[in-house]
Amino acid sequence: MKSALTGDAAGLPTAAGSDGRPAPLAWFAGMMDHCYDYAEAAKSQGRPIVGIMCEFTPREIILAAGAVPVCLCGGSAATIPAAEQFLPANLCPLIKSTFGYHVTGKNPFLNWADLVVAETACDGKKKMFELMSATKPMYILELPQKADDPDALEHWTAEVRKFKDYMDQRFHTHITDAKLRDAARLMNRERALRRQLADLLTLDSPPLTGRQLSEFKSIISGIEEDLQQYERAIQLFRANPAPSGTARPQIRVLLTGVPIVHGAERVLELIENAGAVVVAQENCTGLKPILDDVDADGPDPLRAIARKYYHLPCSVMTPNTRRLDTLRSLAAKFRPHCVIELIWQACLTYDVESFHVRKLAAEELLLPHLKITTDYSPSDSARISARLEALFETIRARRAL
Amino acid sequence: MICAGIDVGSRAIKAVLFDTERREILASGLAAQGVAQERLAADLFDSLLKNARLERPCVSGIVATGYGRHAIRFADTTVTEITCHARGVYWLAPDARSVIEIGGQDSKVIGLENGGRVRDFAMNDRCAAGTGRFLEMVAARLEMDWDKLAQLGRQGTKPAQISNICAVFAETEIIGLLAEGAPLPDVVAGVQNAIATRVAALAGRLLSPPVYFTGGVALLPGMARALEEVLACPVQVSPRPQFTGALGAALSAAATPTSAG
Repeated sequence: MKSALTGDAAGLPTAAGSDGRPAPLAWFAGMMDHCYDYAEAAKSQGRPIVGIMCEFTPREIILAAGAVPVCLCGGSAATIPAAEQFLPANLCPLIKSTFGYHVTGKNPFLNWADLVVAETACDGKKKMFELMSATKPMYILELPQKADDPDALEHWTAEVRKFKDYMDQRFHTHITDAKLRDAARLMNRERALRRQLADLLTLDSPPLTGRQLSEFKSIISGIEEDLQQYERAIQLFRANPAPSGTARPQIRVLLTGVPIVHGAERVLELIENAGAVVVAQENCTGLKPILDDVDADGPDPLRAIARKYYHLPCSVMTPNTRRLDTLRSLAAKFRPHCVIELIWQACLTYDVESFHVRKLAAEELLLPHLKITTDYSPSDSARISARLEALFETIRARRAL
Repeated sequence: MICAGIDVGSRAIKAVLFDTERREILASGLAAQGVAQERLAADLFDSLLKNARLERPCVSGIVATGYGRHAIRFADTTVTEITCHARGVYWLAPDARSVIEIGGQDSKVIGLENGGRVRDFAMNDRCAAGTGRFLEMVAARLEMDWDKLAQLGRQGTKPAQISNICAVFAETEIIGLLAEGAPLPDVVAGVQNAIATRVAALAGRLLSPPVYFTGGVALLPGMARALEEVLACPVQVSPRPQFTGALGAALSAAATPTSAG
């Protein structure tokens, strides 16, 4: 069961450090196994497991309740046929994969979950959760969509407060401001460490690839060993920068769009196999949710938590100008040669919003833009590679790289 | 210097020998695609050399393109068909600003900038509805060859409405139309319109005139007219439409520094 969720180790070095601990890359290559052990131990100690499927869900509330927040997003094509018995084929593969795990019972974290938070961040997930709720305890967290409307933020704050009250009642806890502040500090620490790692790719010769960086994550937040391994990785990469000026200059890619869940890294690999490096990912499995922190020391920690999460620049918000601002600042910082946008099939909000991203790239950032619409099946890999190679040929011809 | 381009397409392998000093095509040829792609390409290459009275060592660079480009180990390097078609069409028609290429399994639209470089491009995804494969399927269903198909398409007066979303469903639509007694020329014209509409959706922002049409499907006379109607702009068939990819590959070989020996 444990290995069912373990993805490829992406060919990463696995040698142990001099202190006998596994090297950071090797540690995160075993991320699923560590999360399994952690959740199993937590469960046996009576800690509730709470499944989430969206970065809008404030993990701080779950942590402050003494529970374990686990990301349940599915990244496997193998569970999709089981899901399609219940869901339409023309639906986002992330939703189908997640629901497929539910149908087949192959995600131990979902099986253990005492509660699943059903975010209304996308219509596909929202209606899928209705099907899942037949057999899974569920709490619906309603997300308003007007990003800059103060009333909408008030409504969201009330939703987060209701969620906190529900957690107290459901798990017989008492979430105090002090507990919320502690949880926010822990999450801030995790976000800051992951930001520092991501910032290594601002270098002209990054010491790690975008694919390697994508290994540095955990489906369970706040595990102390993970945080220490992030720290070690930062030290290690800072001490061993990549040799510069040796190889042909790499094409730098700013990747934006849908989340790339563990196991669904195919397009990321195709990009880097075509001779580029993904220097920044503006998506929910990359930088998007870790750019801002929670003000843990302000007068109202719950309000501070609600505000941080509400301002996530997801395509479900309208108008989603914060995403374009984020892309502007990432482009200035990471100096990409092009913008590649990944859209999962039937993700309408990202697909339509692509119009604005293309316009931003062409008219303001002055960068070529390529949109890739696909799902979890590898059948179009050769076609995607041809488009990537053509894009990189164009960039090399123009910039004489 | 003599360079070679080999375009390994889904239906045919095309090759071009190009003399960079005299700026002319020395030989070109085509072979049907098969299982042993590399051997078929090598045989074709050798036959071109023989026609041009040359030996392999005379060729300073070989570039492979097309979906099977990575299978050609005797090539020095590979370049995508998008770059190659742009280069090939631009060499034959230097006024070109856009290229529509429809091949056996691909359709693509390429916007050119000054110097014939690719500005932007779009390509079909997982569906064959806008490609030559769709036409072949229709020809087989209607039990006629390529020439007869073109001839019929030109006679259509009221093109039938046919789905441009899925080639497989379109085939069942065609069976339905025939059962209802729709005139054959209208069905064929409808198929051409469906392909043209599909390509037009790809074209969108990319198209600026003059537009050149290349790839094997450009040989079908009715197709350029169908594209003109849907795009509402003149579409010229490129000279030597089946060979622009291989020519672009040969020109790429000439431009590659490592092969300038």
